[in-house]
Amino acid sequence: MGGIYIKNKWLPYLLIFPTIVMICIFKIYPIISSVIQGFSSVDSGFTMDNYKHLFADKTFWNSLKVTLKFNVIIIPIQIIVSFIMALFVNVKVRGIEVFRTIFYLPFCISLTISTVIWQMMLNVNNGVINSMLGVLGLKPVGFLIDSKWALLSIVLISSWRGCAYWMMFILAGLKGIDSAVYESAKIDGAGFFNTLFRITIPLLKNTWLFVLVANTTANFLLFAPMQIATDGGPQGSTNVLMYEAYKSAFKYSNRPRQACLVTILLVIVMAVCFIQNKFMTEKEA
Amino acid sequence: MNLRKLTSITLVTAMTAGLALTGCGGSDGKDSGSGSGSGDKDAVTIKWISQGTGEDGWEGLTKPILEAYEEETGVHIEAEFYSFNDLFEVIETKSAAGDSDFDVMSVDVTFISKYGSSGYLEPLDQYFSDEEKAKWDEASYQAGVWEDTMYAAPENTSTQELYYNKKLLDEAGITLPENDADNRLTYEQVAELAKEGLEKLDPDGSNGYIGFDFQQVSRVYQMNMLANSMGGKNISDDGYSLDGVVNTKPWIDAMTWYQKLVDDGIASKGYNAEQLSDQFAAGKVLFLIGGTWTPTSMTCDDEIGYTYAPCFEGHEDEVATSTGSWYFGINSKSANKDAAAEFIRYFTLGKGSDMWLEINGDVPSRVDKQDEIANNPDAPEDMKIAAYEAANTAVPRAVTPVFGEYSTALDQAWEDVRNGADVEETLNNAVEQFDAAVAAYK
Repeated sequence: MGGIYIKNKWLPYLLIFPTIVMICIFKIYPIISSVIQGFSSVDSGFTMDNYKHLFADKTFWNSLKVTLKFNVIIIPIQIIVSFIMALFVNVKVRGIEVFRTIFYLPFCISLTISTVIWQMMLNVNNGVINSMLGVLGLKPVGFLIDSKWALLSIVLISSWRGCAYWMMFILAGLKGIDSAVYESAKIDGAGFFNTLFRITIPLLKNTWLFVLVANTTANFLLFAPMQIATDGGPQGSTNVLMYEAYKSAFKYSNRPRQACLVTILLVIVMAVCFIQNKFMTEKEA
Repeated sequence: MNLRKLTSITLVTAMTAGLALTGCGGSDGKDSGSGSGSGDKDAVTIKWISQGTGEDGWEGLTKPILEAYEEETGVHIEAEFYSFNDLFEVIETKSAAGDSDFDVMSVDVTFISKYGSSGYLEPLDQYFSDEEKAKWDEASYQAGVWEDTMYAAPENTSTQELYYNKKLLDEAGITLPENDADNRLTYEQVAELAKEGLEKLDPDGSNGYIGFDFQQVSRVYQMNMLANSMGGKNISDDGYSLDGVVNTKPWIDAMTWYQKLVDDGIASKGYNAEQLSDQFAAGKVLFLIGGTWTPTSMTCDDEIGYTYAPCFEGHEDEVATSTGSWYFGINSKSANKDAAAEFIRYFTLGKGSDMWLEINGDVPSRVDKQDEIANNPDAPEDMKIAAYEAANTAVPRAVTPVFGEYSTALDQAWEDVRNGADVEETLNNAVEQFDAAVAAYK
C-alpha cells in the first residue's frame, strides 16, 4: 500500500496540482491583479494617485470607521453567542439532534432572503417588532432608518444567521474533547464555571483559532445585508468598505478605486488575522 | 502492486483530462449565442441583453416583437434578461472585460454618457441619418448624446403625473379643485388635501394610510423634480460638480418642504420605491406622483384618478417633471454592428417600436406618435397628459459620465432628509462626497 507513495514521489504533487492551479487562477491572480490595478494609471504606468484620491475622500474614512466598528461589535457577539449555543446543543439529552437542527436552520436560509425577512420585521411602519413595541406602549423605532440603530440592526441580522454556522464548528471542537477529562475534573470537584474556563475553553484552542480567523474574514467582507436593508445609510452609518468597493466596481465603474479599497481590506484582514494567530499561538506556547 | 499503480495513474489521468475538458467547455464563444448563427452559415443571431425578467416583464412583453423581427428579416434575436439592478453589473463586467459575446444592450438613460465615455458603446451617428434622428423628440434624442456623439437610441420616454385614489378621496369627502395644464394644483394644496384625508380616514394612524408620496422615493429620477420645480438644476454644466448647484435655495427649499411633509406624517418613512408602489396598489395611498406605468400595475384601475403634475406656489412657471427611460446601444466589441443597428432601428423607429408602444403603453419618444396621441380624441386621457408633460415640462436627468456617484450621493441625501437629517448639512455632505468622488476623473 505504502509502496505507491514511496516509489512515486511525484504522485502527491500531481494529485494536488489541479487544486494549486485553481487557487492560482481564482485566488492568487485576482489578488495580485487588484494590487497592481490600485497602483496603475490610465496609461498603465505606476501612480499613487488612486490612493491619494481615496485618502482625500471623506466617504472612505467613514467606511473604514464603520467597518472597524461593525467588526469590533459583531465578532465577539457571534463567537460568544455561537459558543453558548454550541454548549446548549452539546448536552446529552434525548432528542438533542432536533435542537441542533433548529439552531442550525437559520444558516440554511440564504442571506438575501433572511435579510429581506428581517427588513420586513424591523420596518418602522408595520414591522412585527415595532408592532410588539406598540403593544407595550413604546414608540416605533426606526431600526433601519435611524443612524443610531441601523448598524446594530445589521449586526442582529447577520448574527442571527451567522451564529448558527459558527456554532457547528465549535460544536465539532467540543465533541473532540475527551470525556475522560470532564470525568476527572468532576471527580476532583470542579464546578461548571471551573470546567468551562479551565478545561473547555483552553482545549478548544485550535477551534478558536479557526473560528476567529474565518469569522473575522467573513465579517470584514460582508456587505449584502447593508446593500439590501439600508443601502449603506442612513447617513453612511452602515456603509462598510466592502460595500464601497462593490459600488466602486459595479456602480461607478471605477476599477482603480475598487482595487485600492480591496487591497486595503486585504491588508486589514491579514493584519487582524496575523495578530489573532500570534496571540493564540503564544498562549499555546 | 502493478494494478494499484495502473489504477492510480488512470485516476490521475482521468482527473486531469476531466479538468481540462471542463475548462474548455465554456470557451466556445459561438455556443454562447453571439456572432454568426449556429447551424445555418448565413443566418445571423444578434444577442441582446436587457432587463425585466418573467412573462410580465420585458422578457414576455418583447417576445412577439422579436418573433416578428425574425419572421421579417430572418435574423434571430437571442434576448437575455436580467433584473433591473443586475443588468448594470452584467454590462459593467462584460464591457470592462471587452466581451464581444453580445451585440445590443439596453441602456438606462443615466448610463449613456458613462458607457459612451468608457468606450462600451459604439457611436451610432454612422447608422442613423439626420432625418431619422429628427423623428425623436429633442429631449429624448439629446439624452442619447454625449459630447456631440450619439451613443444610444430611445426606446420610449417617461413622465410623471399626479395619481390619486378616488375611492379614498370619496370616503373622505374630498373633491379635487378644477385644474388643467395652465392652472395646476400646487404641491402645498395636495399636501393639505392629503392631510385632510388622513384626518378623516386614519386619525390615529392605525390603518397605515399614506397621504401623499412619491413612487420613486429616494431616487433622484423622481425626487429631483421637486428641486427642479423650484428652479434648481440637477448638475453643473460640465457634468462634474454639485457645488453651487444643490447647496442652493431651490434645493434647500424643496428638501425642507419634503421633510416637513414626512414630519407631518403625510408622506411615509421606511418604505422603498417598490414597497410604495405596492402600498398604492393596495389602496393605502391617497396621492402619489408616479409614472404612466402606475395604473397598469394597479389592481384597481377604475379607482385611480390622474391629473397634471403639481407645481409649487410662487413657481407656477417652473413646473418640472422627470423624464427619460431606456435606450438601445451597440456593444463596441460586437462583430455584428450593422445587423445590431438594423434591429435597433426596427425597435425604435419601425414596426417594432409601434408594437412596443402598443404593448407596453409607455410614452413615445417618437414625435409622430406623440402627435397621434395628442390629436386622437379616443386616446386615453392619462396618455394625453403624459404626452403634454413630456413635450412641455420634462427636465432631463443629470447628464454626467459619473451618474453612479451622482445618484449615490443624492439618493442618500433624499433618504437622509426623509429620515430627519439636517437639510443644509446633508446637501453640503452630498456636494463634498460627489466632488471628492469625481476628483479622480478630472
